Amino acid sequence: MRLSRRSLLRAGLAGTAATALGGLASGCAVPTGSTGRNMVLWYWSGGLSPKVLQKAKARYDSAVNLQAIQIGGYYRSKLMTTMTGRAHVPDIAGLKGEDMASYLPNSDQFVDLRTLGADRLKDRYLTWKWDEAIAEDGSMVGFPIDCGPVAHYYQPAVFEKAGLPYEPDDVSRELDTWEKFLAAGEQLKKRVPGAFILTDALSIYGISVNQTTKRFVDKDRHFIGDQEHVRTAWDRAVEATRRGLVSKIVNGTPDNISATERGLLPSQLNASWAAGDIKLNTPKTKGKWRVANCPGGPSNIGGSFLSITKACREPEKAFEMITWMLDADNQAQGFVDSVLFPSTPASYRMAKLREPDEFFGGQITMDVFGPAAQKIPVAFNSPYDIALKTPIDDELRNFSVLGKDPDQAWKDAMSKCRRIADHLGVSY
Amino acid sequence: MATAPVIDTPPATVTTAPAGPARKGILSHWRLYAAISPFYLLFLAFGLIPVGFSLYLSFHRWDGLGSMEFAGLSQYRYLLSDSQFWGSIGNTVVIWALATFPMIFLAMVTAVLLNSAVRFKNVYRFAYFLPNVTSIVAVAIIFGSVFSTNFGLVNALLQAVGLDQVAWLNSPWGIKVAIATLMTWQWTGYNAIIFLAGLQTIPSELYEAARMDGAGPVQTFFRVTLPLMRPVLLFVLVISTVTGLQSFSEPQVLLQTTDNNSSFAGGPGHAGQTMVLYFFQQTFDNNDFGYGAAVAWGIFLVVVLFSIINWRLVQRRGEE
Repeated sequence: MRLSRRSLLRAGLAGTAATALGGLASGCAVPTGSTGRNMVLWYWSGGLSPKVLQKAKARYDSAVNLQAIQIGGYYRSKLMTTMTGRAHVPDIAGLKGEDMASYLPNSDQFVDLRTLGADRLKDRYLTWKWDEAIAEDGSMVGFPIDCGPVAHYYQPAVFEKAGLPYEPDDVSRELDTWEKFLAAGEQLKKRVPGAFILTDALSIYGISVNQTTKRFVDKDRHFIGDQEHVRTAWDRAVEATRRGLVSKIVNGTPDNISATERGLLPSQLNASWAAGDIKLNTPKTKGKWRVANCPGGPSNIGGSFLSITKACREPEKAFEMITWMLDADNQAQGFVDSVLFPSTPASYRMAKLREPDEFFGGQITMDVFGPAAQKIPVAFNSPYDIALKTPIDDELRNFSVLGKDPDQAWKDAMSKCRRIADHLGVSY
Repeated sequence: MATAPVIDTPPATVTTAPAGPARKGILSHWRLYAAISPFYLLFLAFGLIPVGFSLYLSFHRWDGLGSMEFAGLSQYRYLLSDSQFWGSIGNTVVIWALATFPMIFLAMVTAVLLNSAVRFKNVYRFAYFLPNVTSIVAVAIIFGSVFSTNFGLVNALLQAVGLDQVAWLNSPWGIKVAIATLMTWQWTGYNAIIFLAGLQTIPSELYEAARMDGAGPVQTFFRVTLPLMRPVLLFVLVISTVTGLQSFSEPQVLLQTTDNNSSFAGGPGHAGQTMVLYFFQQTFDNNDFGYGAAVAWGIFLVVVLFSIINWRLVQRRGEE
């Protein structure tokens, strides 16, 4: 068949017109939220228990059609883009804990959960977790999903070989301060050649800051990263490095996995969800781990929230659904399915969370995590924290990895912070 | 709008209707404009408008969700005094140079070998092209293992010949070399294919003539092959500059595990932080969209500068 130029042109024209018209039509009709029976929920892989979502879909099927969409990639920027574009905004949106500070100043994008009666559920959830979702104007942006209490994962066989306490209770009791922890590190280094108690200097610094009630910028938009709580944490990391207690191994490399398997990195300070990573990365170490309290007291890493966006057509229904999905029973299920540590203390006493974990030699890890989760200090997280903590992290890495003079590194970190604070309108 | 007269030159075949005077203006050609419009509409939606918006954004402060606040030139003033931004330009150029020159050399050697290969020609071509179509993320993860300190392949080789271990992903130069090696590995085959195409356009009479004049293989290569390959060489250089200045995935995936807080930091001392990586860090880690836009325009100027250099090179070639 031969196409004449004219017919080609006509076809092209028709196609263009159709595209343009279609584009215009759909452009006018883009829904801000979902329509009709649809209730769209955004979350990320591992953010919610698939089983609980399935049950929720079945349970509310007569009223709404729950569409839980797992968003891949950089979650926050995708959610923000969609909200700014004001099109196809999900009705219910997961918010990651570390991003919370950047959502709170924009609380007008979300339904204030207090208006839906959230306050009557408050006493069932961890207080500090609940407070993390409260914006400056008092409105409640997110409903607590999980949290990440930090614990001390260790390999008892190596600790025993080093002459250190190795039963969980003894480790919790005898390594309860950072001084004792570092002294233990020294003993470990002497007795077990090539072993280090810390993988990198940043974790001890980060956890030390999280154990305090302050971060980097306060409520009045004032930089406080130069104050004692940060300086103490910095000095602790510097001291640990100087005493040779920090390995040179890069996190996440085969070196790290191999050293862990061989018992050369017998200790990890990390959140409850890190248990999943340890199981995944070093399956051969099954049974060789125990969990004890973190030296220096409880702290938290991560944990997220569910929010109802302004685009939601049925906030009452959405609220009913998220409070059901996040009640103590379902949070317990979330822990079993996806290692989501419950923010509902009632879950900690449930039988399925108190099952001995073979990976941890039959230990009931909830005995460590449960009490820790309830004692986490409350801190104010500023949207400027990320920008102003980065130079300090960077300079600490320059010291610990590249061997920069620590005093110079601190000075450089502070002068960078001053510049960035000035740029962001944070007072110094 | 210069396209209309070009299409209009054979008027009788385009339309059977009597061709009106050209004066009648653009409207009489609306069919033609409509026919070419999809590209322009898409370009408008996904090219021009975002570019214009990013320029507008760079004069504001914006956290991505709330209201924008006019900031005048302060983002650009901050950019000029931002040592990390200048450092990222340096990193990009150094990594580009470390990757490109060995890559061109290796690609040329490969192409000459492929050109003279007798058997399994297509198998070799396919094999050399394969790295270029392999997922960069998968490659970077493998390279992370290859360059790891205690159990990496590279250090195993170094130790086999009696050299010391190098903490590749923990030292400023090690990081750059690792990224550059990854890029070299990925692009050598692709460019070898391009060189091969260039080699095959050189008429065999020239080689015969050279042989008659008593030139050896080395002399033939430098006196005949290389001069005739200059345009191809230049093309490869331009393309690798474009890809090199945009390098992002390679350092991002290779170095993300070294950093607990940001996957855009580029390793210790920001040694592997390229310009685009820095742009991502400012925009998406810090939620500083106004400054991110300013950084993007800074990157644009650097690219313009390199384009001018490339253009001058091509120009001079044309004058000869």
